[in-house]
Amino acid sequence: MSIGRRTAAVGATLAASAMLVTACSSDGDPDTTPTSGGSAEAASGTIELRVATFPPGADEAAYEAFATQEAQFEEANPDIDVIGVEYEWTGPTFAVQLAGGSLPDVFTVPFTDSKTLLENGQLMDVTAEVDALGYSDRFNPIILDGVTDADGNIFGFPRQAYAMGLHYNRDLFEAAGLDPDNPPATWDEVREAAKAIADTTGKAGYSQMAINNTGGWQLTAQTVSRGGRTQVDNGDGTYTSSISNAGTKATLEFLHDVKWEDNAFGAKVDLDWGTINQEFAAGNLGMFTSGSDVYTALVRDFGMDPDQYGLTVMPLEGDDPGTLGGGDIAVVSPTVDESTKAAAVKWIDWYYMQKLMNEDAAKADAQALADSGQAVGTPVLPVLSRELYDESQQWIAEFVNVPQEQMTPFTENIWDQTPVGEPKGKTQEIYALLDPVVQAVLTDESADIDALLTQADQDAQALLDQ
Amino acid sequence: MTTTQAPAATARRRRTPRTWVKNGGLTALAFALPMILIFTVFSWGPIVRSVVMSFQKTNLLQPAEFVGFDNFIAVLNDPLLGTAVLNTLYFAALALVMGFPIPILMAVLMSEVRRGKGIYSALAYLPVVVPPVVAVLLWKVFYDASPNGVLNTVLGWVGIGPQPWLQSQAQAMPSLVIEATWAAAGGSIIIYLAALLAVPPELYDAAEVDGASIWRKAWHVTLPQLRGVIFVMLILQILATAQIFLEPFLFTGGGPVNSTTTVLLLIYRYAFQNSLGGNYGMATALSVMLAIFLALLSWIYFRLTARWSTS
Amino acid sequence: MTTETTTPAAQRAGSAALAGGVDTRRSRPLRWRKRRGPMIEDSRGIVSETDLRQPRVRRGMRVVHVFLSVTLVLAGLGPLLWLAKAAVTPTQDTLREPFALWPNGIDWANLSTAWNDIHIDQYFFNTVVIALGAWVFQMLIATTGAYTLSVLKPRYHRVLGSLVLATLFIPSVVLLVPLYLTVVSPPFLGRDYSLLNNYLAVWLPMAANAFNILLVKRFFDNLPREVIEAAQTDGAGPFRLFWSIILPMSKPILGVVSVFAVIAAWKDFLWPLLVLPDPAVQPLSVRLPAVQSQTELDVFLAALAIATIIPVVMFLLFQRVFLRSAGLGGAVKG
Repeated sequence: MSIGRRTAAVGATLAASAMLVTACSSDGDPDTTPTSGGSAEAASGTIELRVATFPPGADEAAYEAFATQEAQFEEANPDIDVIGVEYEWTGPTFAVQLAGGSLPDVFTVPFTDSKTLLENGQLMDVTAEVDALGYSDRFNPIILDGVTDADGNIFGFPRQAYAMGLHYNRDLFEAAGLDPDNPPATWDEVREAAKAIADTTGKAGYSQMAINNTGGWQLTAQTVSRGGRTQVDNGDGTYTSSISNAGTKATLEFLHDVKWEDNAFGAKVDLDWGTINQEFAAGNLGMFTSGSDVYTALVRDFGMDPDQYGLTVMPLEGDDPGTLGGGDIAVVSPTVDESTKAAAVKWIDWYYMQKLMNEDAAKADAQALADSGQAVGTPVLPVLSRELYDESQQWIAEFVNVPQEQMTPFTENIWDQTPVGEPKGKTQEIYALLDPVVQAVLTDESADIDALLTQADQDAQALLDQ
Repeated sequence: MTTTQAPAATARRRRTPRTWVKNGGLTALAFALPMILIFTVFSWGPIVRSVVMSFQKTNLLQPAEFVGFDNFIAVLNDPLLGTAVLNTLYFAALALVMGFPIPILMAVLMSEVRRGKGIYSALAYLPVVVPPVVAVLLWKVFYDASPNGVLNTVLGWVGIGPQPWLQSQAQAMPSLVIEATWAAAGGSIIIYLAALLAVPPELYDAAEVDGASIWRKAWHVTLPQLRGVIFVMLILQILATAQIFLEPFLFTGGGPVNSTTTVLLLIYRYAFQNSLGGNYGMATALSVMLAIFLALLSWIYFRLTARWSTS
Repeated sequence: MTTETTTPAAQRAGSAALAGGVDTRRSRPLRWRKRRGPMIEDSRGIVSETDLRQPRVRRGMRVVHVFLSVTLVLAGLGPLLWLAKAAVTPTQDTLREPFALWPNGIDWANLSTAWNDIHIDQYFFNTVVIALGAWVFQMLIATTGAYTLSVLKPRYHRVLGSLVLATLFIPSVVLLVPLYLTVVSPPFLGRDYSLLNNYLAVWLPMAANAFNILLVKRFFDNLPREVIEAAQTDGAGPFRLFWSIILPMSKPILGVVSVFAVIAAWKDFLWPLLVLPDPAVQPLSVRLPAVQSQTELDVFLAALAIATIIPVVMFLLFQRVFLRSAGLGGAVKG
């Protein structure tokens, strides 16, 4: 496992979920080193722009799609030489890559980390550019808030958001005598379906991520879906931990019951974002929760058969439940010079933004993706307005190649759910802290859930008080 | 003493750059320089820097500031430290129980067979040749906890139910040790075998003259002859296990529930796992503490080997 | 012993283990000679020819043979054979019946997929480059350093020697972070000359290996002084002495150091992981774990098999290298 995989799991998730659009690598030929390719032709006067690409192991076709788009961009901007750099948001190496100058000039970071990066002065100020492009008042204000500092300066382009969803394997549903068009709508039904799948097929009915911070991430997501919150934002820059709440407790009890009462969890309790995708794509897993846009990665990077795929919304219960969401922003390295920065903004606008608001760009993007067999039409949440999003879906309707009818349980119901952002205070550290709590419930049948939560709450508060 | 010192003193007095060059000082320096440079930049320098950094707070971007013993206090107050130390000791103990007697036994048996030493040695050494990362990744597949997992299938043949292996707090560490033992036993076997084959035959002949049985020969001749190498291997194994990293890092990432989090993994996490910049101060503080402990061990090792090799 | 090849320190411990066994033997300059040990079939052990004449002992020896064959084949060869089988077996067969022999046929395509899609070829090449560079730098430092300390002996050689030796006692875990920061921002040069993604970042720290220097120095110490003096009387300068007299006489120990150097570089994981973040320059050991979750099991196992085959083949070559050095060394000593 790379450091990346092992760490900021959420980061990895987002980076990968970002794939839908982030599709970018160098010259599309992974045989040559990602940094070589175009740089050779870089004549004097052209600006070399190193842009983030896929995480390690991405499919050949993804590089083809990127190569097409890279060529289109370079044709429109002959003074810019785009060089794709294999990239994955890996928290741990970020500071070092930044210091060592090996970071791409353009890359994406998850919402959860953007605030901290911004406060550390590790992102380039792009206020003027966002204004000049006229985007300042077009972004969803809640999302834009995440990349704005106290003085109103903007540090990045929100480009994609997702909501948590419940992914399920239609074949396993059928094998277990369940209706794949009528997926579970409550957590009790999830449990029953998991048991049915495990009993009839011997596969894992329901699994959940548990390592590399993803355990904490998913625990938080499910807490929210049961009406709980793991953290209270005091509004004055301080946060109060509320890990010991009914929603979190119910989530852990659910996990305990699936694992130990029903024996439906499967043998693997050490899955993270990548490995749970692998299990699911291989048909070894009935249901799991992850970002709504993970289909792209499942099919492209993990070789899933699209016919098996099903997606529905997170079951909601309790008081004030919501759906945890997230997303990422395209940012510019703080170390680049002015001309590179201008080129970087051009690229971000062209590659990430235009397709969200411009019909021609949207079509061209969808075409490039579709031509190379990449997923088009994976459900995401709009970073601009919902109207614009719906409109853009019309533009690209002809290129859609994902089984959208298998995702209708999600797409028809997601708008009724309340989006909830990830906890802001020490997000990753607290996710890391919650991993062992999830692991404890999954590896110890008699784990004392109340004691675990009390301890985690204390530890989290200690972190927040630092 | 006095006779040797006198000319040296005069030489020093008469030394000029000219005579220094003439006496080969420059050439000697030319030969010494690569070593001096490399060691300064990549060994001595970082060692000093490590000690300095353990008293500093730094994140690569802002200038470092001295914080006294804060890093040490923070490390000692980390509830994970106790877990990591205990886990490391547990690993070391398990590795001793499993990994220490097996190679000795195998080497003794192999030294006794009249034919096939070569092929046996090659077989024993084969796992050592497998790159450690490949070995761990392969064993991770073996440790598949489903009933159809590789090792669980083998257990099934002898009527034992499927085990959770890495998926269990209780079994994760032993699983790591089994793989580590598999991967390293061959090297130890070869070393013991060499030591065994170096036992002077006269000693056995003499024991036989006294009518010693096979067991008595093993106990009174073989083992005493192996004592030195056994002790050295013991220290080396402790040194290596105290720095165990690859197995927990690749097998479990320290889980489940930190049951395989070792000291080195903790250092790694301090330095490289925090998403937005490492806590290099805490990492170096813990490194320095571990290093003092290990340096003590290696010093003992060195004293003993020095004594043996000169005696 | 646990294999620990992840940090420079650990490598040191690892190679020290080999040397440790050697050190305890007395024939100092020829420590590699032990390597010949296992090949000696005629040396005697506990059981004498007289003992062997007893039927009870003979039965015992047969049991020993069976035990050794079964254990070593199962433990030493078994996992690798399984890997070889699984490398050409479809994923589902491996998952369902890990020990069935190709119930649904052999899938040779795994190997080519691994080679082409995971780019094993490129990472293999990177690994070779890393190993060769590490070898060059380690040899350079070990021989020139040992020559300084053992033969030239400038007046500061004692201090220098102690400083170098002292690093043997410093476990390299203490070096991890500062060495990393040194690579990120080399002294006097700064971040613009960062060695990240540069193979020098792997080669140079590996060259700061006191163990190699100690090994070679001890060998030099034991070279016959008459030969050196004779050469000097014949007017050989320090460079000639080094290149034409000392090095040719030291082939055995150089072979041993070479093997250590290449193996250590081949196995290293944590250090290249840290200083080579760009996948395009990473060696196999770093890449294989990175691509695991995105790779289907059968292809991944094929990749593991390819990564294993090469060192196994080299192992056979190493055996010969060791034998030859042993022979040469015996001649020098004799």
